[in-house]
Amino acid sequence: MELHINGKTYSVQSEGDTPLLWVIRDELGLTGTKYGCGIAQCGACSVLVDGEVMRSCVTPVEGVKGRNITTIEGVEEDPIGQRVVAAWVEHQVPQCGYCQSGQVMAATSLLKQTPQPSEAQIAASMTNLCRCGTYNAISAAVQDLAGGGPSAAAEKARMQAATAANGRGMRS
Amino acid sequence: MSKRRYRKILAIVGAALAVVIAATTWFVNRKPGSPFDGVSASTSPSKALIERGRYVARLADCVACHSTPHGKPFAGGLEMSTPLGSIYTTNITPDKATGIGGYSLADFARALRHGVAGDGHRLYPAMPFPSYAKLDDADVRALYAYFMHAVRPQRQPDRKSDIAWPMNMRWPLALWSAVFTDGGTYQRNAAPAGVDATLWNRGAYIVQGPGHCGSCHTPRGAVMNEKAYDGSSRQYLAGALLDGWYAPSLRGDVNIGLGRWSQADIVRFLREGRNAHAVVYGSMTDAYNNSTQFMSDADLKAIAVYLKSLPGNPKQDGPPWQYQDTPNPALGSGAHPQAAGARLYLAKCGFCHGRDGRGQGTWIPPLAGSVASMSRHDASAINITLNGSTHIVAQGVPDGYRMPAFRHQLSDRDVAEVLSFIRTSWGNRGGSVKPQDVKKLRQRTNPASSDVIILQMR
Amino acid sequence: MSQSTDINGHNETFPTDETPTNISRRRFLLASAGVAAGALVLGFGLPLDTARARGATAAAGSPPRVPAFLEIRPDGGIRLQSPFNEGGQGIFTAMAQIVGEELDADPTHFLVENAPPGKQYTVMSNGMRITGGSMSVRFGYTAMRRIGALARMMLLQAAAHQWGIAVGELTTEPGRVIHKASGKSLDYGQLAPHAMALAVPDADSVKLKDPGQFRWIGKPVKRVDVYDKSTGRVEYTIDTRVDGMLQAAVQHAPRLGMTVGRIRNEAQIKAMKGVHSVHILDGAVAVVAERWWNAKRAAETAQVDWQEPKPDPSARHMPTDFSTKSYREHLANASGDGETAESKGHVGDALKGAQTVVNATYSSQYVHHAQLEPPSALAHFHDDGTLEIWLPNQAPDMFLADIAKRAGVDADKIILHSPMLGGFFGRHFLYGPGNPYMQAVQLAKATGRPIKLIWSREEEFLRDPMRPMAVVKFRGGLDANGMPVALEAISATEGPTEGIANQRSKKKVDDSAVEGLTGKAYAIPNRRIAQLYVKTPAMLAYWRSVGHSMNDFLYETFLDELADKGGQDPFELRMKLLKGNQRLTHLLQAVAELAGGWKRGPFTAADGSRRARGVAMASPFGSQTAAIAEVSLENGQVRVHDIWQAVDPGSIVNPAIIDAQVAGATALGLSEVLLEEAVYENGQPRARNYDMYPILPPDRMPKVHARIVESGAKMGGIGEPPLPATPPAVANAVSHLTGQRIRSMPLSQYDFSA
Repeated sequence: MELHINGKTYSVQSEGDTPLLWVIRDELGLTGTKYGCGIAQCGACSVLVDGEVMRSCVTPVEGVKGRNITTIEGVEEDPIGQRVVAAWVEHQVPQCGYCQSGQVMAATSLLKQTPQPSEAQIAASMTNLCRCGTYNAISAAVQDLAGGGPSAAAEKARMQAATAANGRGMRS
Repeated sequence: MSKRRYRKILAIVGAALAVVIAATTWFVNRKPGSPFDGVSASTSPSKALIERGRYVARLADCVACHSTPHGKPFAGGLEMSTPLGSIYTTNITPDKATGIGGYSLADFARALRHGVAGDGHRLYPAMPFPSYAKLDDADVRALYAYFMHAVRPQRQPDRKSDIAWPMNMRWPLALWSAVFTDGGTYQRNAAPAGVDATLWNRGAYIVQGPGHCGSCHTPRGAVMNEKAYDGSSRQYLAGALLDGWYAPSLRGDVNIGLGRWSQADIVRFLREGRNAHAVVYGSMTDAYNNSTQFMSDADLKAIAVYLKSLPGNPKQDGPPWQYQDTPNPALGSGAHPQAAGARLYLAKCGFCHGRDGRGQGTWIPPLAGSVASMSRHDASAINITLNGSTHIVAQGVPDGYRMPAFRHQLSDRDVAEVLSFIRTSWGNRGGSVKPQDVKKLRQRTNPASSDVIILQMR
Repeated sequence: MSQSTDINGHNETFPTDETPTNISRRRFLLASAGVAAGALVLGFGLPLDTARARGATAAAGSPPRVPAFLEIRPDGGIRLQSPFNEGGQGIFTAMAQIVGEELDADPTHFLVENAPPGKQYTVMSNGMRITGGSMSVRFGYTAMRRIGALARMMLLQAAAHQWGIAVGELTTEPGRVIHKASGKSLDYGQLAPHAMALAVPDADSVKLKDPGQFRWIGKPVKRVDVYDKSTGRVEYTIDTRVDGMLQAAVQHAPRLGMTVGRIRNEAQIKAMKGVHSVHILDGAVAVVAERWWNAKRAAETAQVDWQEPKPDPSARHMPTDFSTKSYREHLANASGDGETAESKGHVGDALKGAQTVVNATYSSQYVHHAQLEPPSALAHFHDDGTLEIWLPNQAPDMFLADIAKRAGVDADKIILHSPMLGGFFGRHFLYGPGNPYMQAVQLAKATGRPIKLIWSREEEFLRDPMRPMAVVKFRGGLDANGMPVALEAISATEGPTEGIANQRSKKKVDDSAVEGLTGKAYAIPNRRIAQLYVKTPAMLAYWRSVGHSMNDFLYETFLDELADKGGQDPFELRMKLLKGNQRLTHLLQAVAELAGGWKRGPFTAADGSRRARGVAMASPFGSQTAAIAEVSLENGQVRVHDIWQAVDPGSIVNPAIIDAQVAGATALGLSEVLLEEAVYENGQPRARNYDMYPILPPDRMPKVHARIVESGAKMGGIGEPPLPATPPAVANAVSHLTGQRIRSMPLSQYDFSA
């Protein structure tokens, strides 16, 4: 069967019930998409199918034949994806990084459909798990992208500067 | 069949006690007659007979209740909880001391068809003897040969029930049997016009007899009696609430039954555990894993023919479901639902079952138009959401996609909201779900094991 | 992991046996090790003979190994081999900052990789090479600064030689050497080829920078790995692949210790799509296939008759009747005074003389690491017998030694790679059957092919060793003013270090079992902390902040119980008990100030919810922490709105990374106190995936406000310290809000809707 991934067409041999995740990781060698749980609980395997986020570990590959799939490897070819990556760097979001491919895909999907999501909309869409606890950085980055209010990054930088100054001030 | 279905033992025994005054001691202590009385079974049955018996044991799904995941085949010990305490299934291996090794063919037939053990005590009707009564003599012989000669004896004493006196007395069950079971073997009937009579009768025999489908799918009366044992009643297989699950109608009901299924759909479901309409879950997983997938194609076809001959009840079932593209208004405009239930659906359910509720091929079932979304009974929807599903094991291979358990992630209110959303979207008419009903079921049920469970027959 | 109690401070001398060597002179070795031609390469103690031997074997297929610590390339690129594993804690960046500071090169342009095993990379002043115990920066600080300073000196010398100018007249700006008088300058990359021929200066000849002149240390320098991690470019062990590789999946015995009797349906499995072979391993059945999904499905299909093991005291065996519920009772019923871990004054006498005695039993729960990357390993035997292996680990040398021993391969014939870790949390230490690498080695040996083995999430939950459970019996004595005069804590538990070693601590107390009960700073005149050793059949592990992850919860919540019994405000009580301790009273005031002043509540918030606050402190891994949590109830469950946390690690390297670590450790502490508990029934874990073992989801994440306090005290750790104060701060707030005393975690076990 043929798959359209990141603008390329691949011919794949895997059986139709194989999860998309394992087709792209193993058969196509695109390992940026991660295996975390296999039962759609964590979101590390998130990819876009026709611009909408899906968890590839629970997506039998036969169901996405002929549809446009975007993985993390292709995210920067999308202007919105590019902005998301830039915001992730700006906000220094990742820690271990393992869930972040999925987080970036989820944010890209959200912003493609809703360029200026509200805080509630961000919360409703950004549901992937992160064991390192980067949730606040993620939501700051997405809010920044949503363009609401002052730049959260600038705010954070200001706070850090203040913290550092305070810290030294408190040296006892 | 359900492993914990007789939670209303109290009601059964209570009712039986009410009529006990009229009963006579001889009646309750007598052993019913058997066509095999005085007949001695062959001590060296043919291989063919044993194989037939093995197949009948699959049809009758003996292993699902008489084995435990880590126990020996047919040695019993499976716990069935009732409000009065737990009962445990018995050792039906041919061990002379603790099993049925001492049973004559007649003893065996009495236990199977009448619920009377070798020593004369009455079995709880957790044992579906009212259905097994329909087994023909040839199948009983074969089954006996199989258990006596192909099952390894295991010395494992039966575990006593936890039910205390006086509720643990068994003799009143004889009265229950007399009143609520019809007792005879399956009798060939005229098939509906245009239907292959042989197939239809074979299907009816399996469904009513060894398959004991009615144990779960036929509604029960006040003392847990099945309201019908054959298609002469519209109640037969009309869908029933039992032990925390709603077993769908197996009749022609378009919404809560098999009205939208073709014969081929039914065959595929029973053989593969899945089709475009549904995937087995709940108690049906036991029936599929241990029984229906082992049935021959001819028998599956026969079952499909028979079930498709049972008419639905449009009055009760309502107008046929139609997919509606605009879901519940709560989903709001665009991608961002306002209601909590819709939000939860997208976060917890939509990745598998689809934002459109249509599922994914035969691998992940649709929620749009499913029985659990259409039935006014919400038990199955709540139960599967709280507890997830055990692995479906088809031809020995566990499924690749498993329903997770959400009991530790969703509160009673969350479950109620997400299920209310599902059961009122995409044309679904099941209606809303109350948090207190979720709470009740949460207390009564346990999460499905995520182990792959394969009950061995040898 | 915790070694904190075994470590005594840093020294200022070079920790390795030898001073660094300029190994760029041995060019024949370097090219195939990925070192750029013309690069200046600094390494410690190059084992020349071995290196030559390796150079020779390179032809036979296995790559040579060169202890290239710091490489300055002709194009100006700088490659640093980090002695510490990166698992999200930002250590690659911190190392680059520290080296870059003294080298005078922008750390954000460093290429940082994990160093291979070898004592050359043992830079910590305690002589260990472990990434854990929040030790990396504080114990590697001086050595890493010095290597940067030495490299800078060599570049200065090279420039001096080029220009014929005395070194003393030269200076540097980031990435270049400057001669101010003449305005001449050369990039480091231009100088590198010239520095190659120089001998490394005497370590004492370089002077380290005055902290007042730091350009990068102490600044929120951007992390070196963030872009790659935002674009899926980082390769974790699970992503590695080599030519000719097969993949493997396992089905573990349902209970630890059981062995394979037989596989009933081996023929069926072998006939499944893509299956290469089926193998019986110690306590597991493995299936090797071209693709992992096929291997996994086939492994799950195996119908195995599992057999109980023969009695073997050296191995752990999970019995069929083990349950966490009954084990908690077992611990609670253990009687005895235990072995004293810490003692002051006379607890017994003080309790007799106390106005009020408070007895209470507290407990902790088993918890899982639940890192998002499932464990994996890739093992490849080269034709010359060399074993090349990729595996997640936090101590390369210890893993290498273990593999050498168990696989029967000479240590110098093992090439070990340590890819980035998809979650740290203490999961990647040596846990025997809790790690997959030996299975991969066995399978590679058996098949003659490179094998990548991945544990499915379900197999991981079955074999993940856990943070111990403990039941602690507290006795507290209060005087007439409600001030604590005596405190005794007897913890019935097996410590993680004991569990991993599978034997009781020779000291009779496992420090990692009691830390957090011990080491508290409160001036309670009479106190005794003890461990009552009770062996568990479960496999135990270090878990982020180790003993502190449970003990500070147990202690700090009991302290609140004492405060309430004595009619004292818990914040004020802590201030009184820390009287005269300038560092900690300052820290406590700092957190209160960060939170807008201490107020316990309950009070009504702007959104109408009833809220309360709790406070707690901890002294983990050389740092000091204080946290305040604000909570309310929502549908009977706890909602945490804000956590304020002040952390004093003495001095710091990167405040942005510290902020991130505070947020992350706080999240893990919240996850533990709100949600997490590994439950066993009939010897088996009830949860085999995140559905039944939920971890903190984004919608339960509160705002986290961090304040870094640099007291100037000896540098402490940062990766773990912000965890321990979080659970008790939350629980104390909940106890106050609900009136129900919280003595165990997680809070999800309580229904507060009544």
